[in-house]
Amino acid sequence: MRTMDDYEMEPAEQEYWLSQVARLVDELDPVPPGLVARAQFAIAIEDIDAEVELEAARWAESHSLVGVRGGAPGTITFFVGDLTVMVNVTRTGEKQRIDGWLVPAGEHGVEVRVADHGSSATTADEGGRFVLTEVPRGTTQILVRMNGGPKPRTVVTPTVEL
Amino acid sequence: MGAVTELHTARTNPPWDGLEGAERHAACVLAARAGDKAALDVLVAELTPLVWHIARGGGLDRAAAEDVVQTVWLALLRHVESITEPKALVGWLITTARREASRTRQRGSAQVELSPEVAEHVLSTEPMPEAEALRTERDRQLWSAFHKLDQRCQELLRLTVLAGRAEYRVVAEQLRMPHGSIGPTRGRCINTLRALYHDGDGGR
Repeated sequence: MRTMDDYEMEPAEQEYWLSQVARLVDELDPVPPGLVARAQFAIAIEDIDAEVELEAARWAESHSLVGVRGGAPGTITFFVGDLTVMVNVTRTGEKQRIDGWLVPAGEHGVEVRVADHGSSATTADEGGRFVLTEVPRGTTQILVRMNGGPKPRTVVTPTVEL
Repeated sequence: MGAVTELHTARTNPPWDGLEGAERHAACVLAARAGDKAALDVLVAELTPLVWHIARGGGLDRAAAEDVVQTVWLALLRHVESITEPKALVGWLITTARREASRTRQRGSAQVELSPEVAEHVLSTEPMPEAEALRTERDRQLWSAFHKLDQRCQELLRLTVLAGRAEYRVVAEQLRMPHGSIGPTRGRCINTLRALYHDGDGGR
């Protein structure tokens, strides 16, 4: 590859290349439509205060291939610290059924929020399993509320399209 | 009468109203601490492009960058009480976004045993642009050249573009670069971009 590091570029030419980068930023790689609204939804969580330890979970790589890209049901996983949560989504007519498994197991509260559709909540059984039925489809966030430790912990995910 | 008018004004005009840059961010952080949820929404609306371009400049695909943007805002929700310098929010966001992008990248490269059709998506060396955004040969060449730059250059050039805009002047301060000037590092990045672009064109 040739290098032109020794070549002093004219200001006008620098401006030209910066305008090309601006085109890339604005036209080729813009902020995805709806991302601001999804982020605002993700942080609009009730019952969060200084008494609760809030932790942001990460989706495992696969969610972009299952939920976002195909829009098809399947299994997705999120995790934070020592907690891993597997979630299986099954279509039931217009709605869907969510089967989940918390590892390590614990009888924690699980809440599924869907934008413009409120939320559904349940409690996992002692094996860490939980089921939510008739969950509307849409921009979805999952919360796990854990009360075991010295301070209540709430784990929240980024939104996913289900 | 006067007191009533004052109260009314205080209610309709949020504390960040009329402020710009670091002062505006600080007013939003302080209002968020006091429980004003709209204050965080303002920050998310105005500073998501900054966080997005840090994540993309860090080499993440669009889906992963979306998650990083949301994770950074969740981190702000978590840390809003403890940010020591509300005026330096932009610096905090840049640092947090870089760290989160780097974590995500490391996790991605640690993945093994991908099926061929999955690997095709995940292992592409250039993060994919907006679907069908690359309409012309010129666009494809620009995209390809830009993503051959090292990550430092990619981030710096993206931030330079943002910093050139009035609403992001605070980014220029963060980069310690006078508005409109071309620092030596940026000059090197632009030179390299041009060379890569022409190489992609058959070395014309």
